[in-house]
Amino acid sequence: MNRFLGNKGAIALFTLPTLLLFTVIVFWPILQVFYRSMYEWDGLTVGQFIGLDNFARMFGDRLFYTSLYNGLIFAAVLAVLQIGIGTILALTIAGTAVKGKKFLRISYFIPVVLSVTVVCQLWLAMYNGEYGLINKIFEVLGLSYRQDWLSDGKTAIYAIAIVNAWQYMGYHFALLLASARSIPEQYLEAARIDGAERWKAHWKVTIPLMAETYKFCFVLAITGGLNAFANMYIMTSGGPGTETYTLTYMMYRSAFRVGEYGYGSASAAFLVIECLIVTFAINKLIARERIVY
Amino acid sequence: MLKRIRKKQPVFQLFLWVYALISLYPLVWMLFYSLKDNNEIFVTNPFGFPTHLRFENYRAAMSQFNVPQYFLNSVLVSVATVVGTIALAIMFAYSVARLRWKGKTAAQMYVVIGMFVPVQVIMIPLAILVRDFHLTNTYLSLILPYIAFNVSFASMVFYGFFRTIPNDLEESACIDGATIYQTFRIVMLPLVKPSIATMVIFVFLAAWNEFPIALMLISKETLKTLPLGLLFFQGQFTTDWGAMGAAMMIASLPTVLIYVFFSEQVEKAMTVGSAVKG
Repeated sequence: MNRFLGNKGAIALFTLPTLLLFTVIVFWPILQVFYRSMYEWDGLTVGQFIGLDNFARMFGDRLFYTSLYNGLIFAAVLAVLQIGIGTILALTIAGTAVKGKKFLRISYFIPVVLSVTVVCQLWLAMYNGEYGLINKIFEVLGLSYRQDWLSDGKTAIYAIAIVNAWQYMGYHFALLLASARSIPEQYLEAARIDGAERWKAHWKVTIPLMAETYKFCFVLAITGGLNAFANMYIMTSGGPGTETYTLTYMMYRSAFRVGEYGYGSASAAFLVIECLIVTFAINKLIARERIVY
Repeated sequence: MLKRIRKKQPVFQLFLWVYALISLYPLVWMLFYSLKDNNEIFVTNPFGFPTHLRFENYRAAMSQFNVPQYFLNSVLVSVATVVGTIALAIMFAYSVARLRWKGKTAAQMYVVIGMFVPVQVIMIPLAILVRDFHLTNTYLSLILPYIAFNVSFASMVFYGFFRTIPNDLEESACIDGATIYQTFRIVMLPLVKPSIATMVIFVFLAAWNEFPIALMLISKETLKTLPLGLLFFQGQFTTDWGAMGAAMMIASLPTVLIYVFFSEQVEKAMTVGSAVKG
């Protein structure tokens, strides 16, 4: 049996293709990001080692702080809207007799399967200052609140974050619903018999029991926000001015527009570390022990 | 009576339907305007059902925006990615879950790293790599990275399924004189079929909708996939909203249909990640 399951030829045939492809396309580039972040490099020549100069320059760059700040706003909007709305919808559907459950679930989830390009174009049309749906709605309501949401430096980042929140809310909803359904009924029953209000019971009993899922949702929403790129690329190109830059967008511009591959790698390296810290912090903050029913 | 009303939570019930409207209406609006002309979209009938169904918008989308070409590219890239990812992941997972060799845990942990790295972060080295391998503007420059990025997750899911299969299956196959390859193909593959179906959906959706890598690596018009090809607000055709809406409807149709027909499997496919990553 050991010889049968220890067949070296089979093991090599089964694992080497994956290991090779993964090493070349994922692992090697990760190392490259850190290595190249210490170079002044145009992507063509050998480049010159400059130690941590790229990072020193970055920490003095105003664009870096705009990007960092926008990433945090984006992450906060996603976390609050997606997880907040997702929680209310999932717990209501899991806990009450609702007609049309299937229809509701499908309508929440459909935006998730669309491409980011379609969603962003659609929202560009909705935000459009002259003909957009949102301004039309204000018009119908008789409010003269016409506004070009994406050209105002103050609202643009929120307007973009809402698009992403809208698209992927259904994903968080599906995760939370699956999690809420896996909780045995008696936990909720017990809380109800004690006379606790339903949402108080959810807050005290249901939500803590779903801690593992919440951990995943927060990691997803926050790292997703910090990494945001496609939404601003399609909707504003980082504008107006540089108001909607994020670290990924800064990396993209440095490397592919300005040709400073080393400097771009530095912001990518910073982003990796930022995401690792956030993931670690969320795992620390949300109770670690696995709950056994 | 009062108790029954409270139990039904009217406020929250209402919220369910209000949010469904927020989630769905923009898409309905897009469907409507894909069948209208500009005058109707902007002035006469911005919200409601089209007064006259202008299917010519769809014809215009097909001819103006290169949609058939993009569509074909998306199909080709997505199908190749699905086939490649499933084949590699299932072999790898079988090997680390069932075969006996030193270092298999390390190999598995190594590949898991891929699940925690956002694609955007390694765009720069990836672009250089593709250039150095002379793959710029080829289908392979998309297919290979897509496979590499999906293989981590897919192999973790298959790993979970392979672990649940009892050991005596292989033992009896061995006693019957089957080779390890025959055992894999005839005994093991049929057993993981349900998880293959789930992963096919997952990988297909991921590949069909992928944007940043395509943006970085493809500049040739004839190789663009739909998410890249449909960036019209940056292009020249910004005036004909109806045809733009039609192009977007065509691009969304495959994934929406897959979702509507297999909604439970799709949700399962998308959410299976939390169990693996958590």
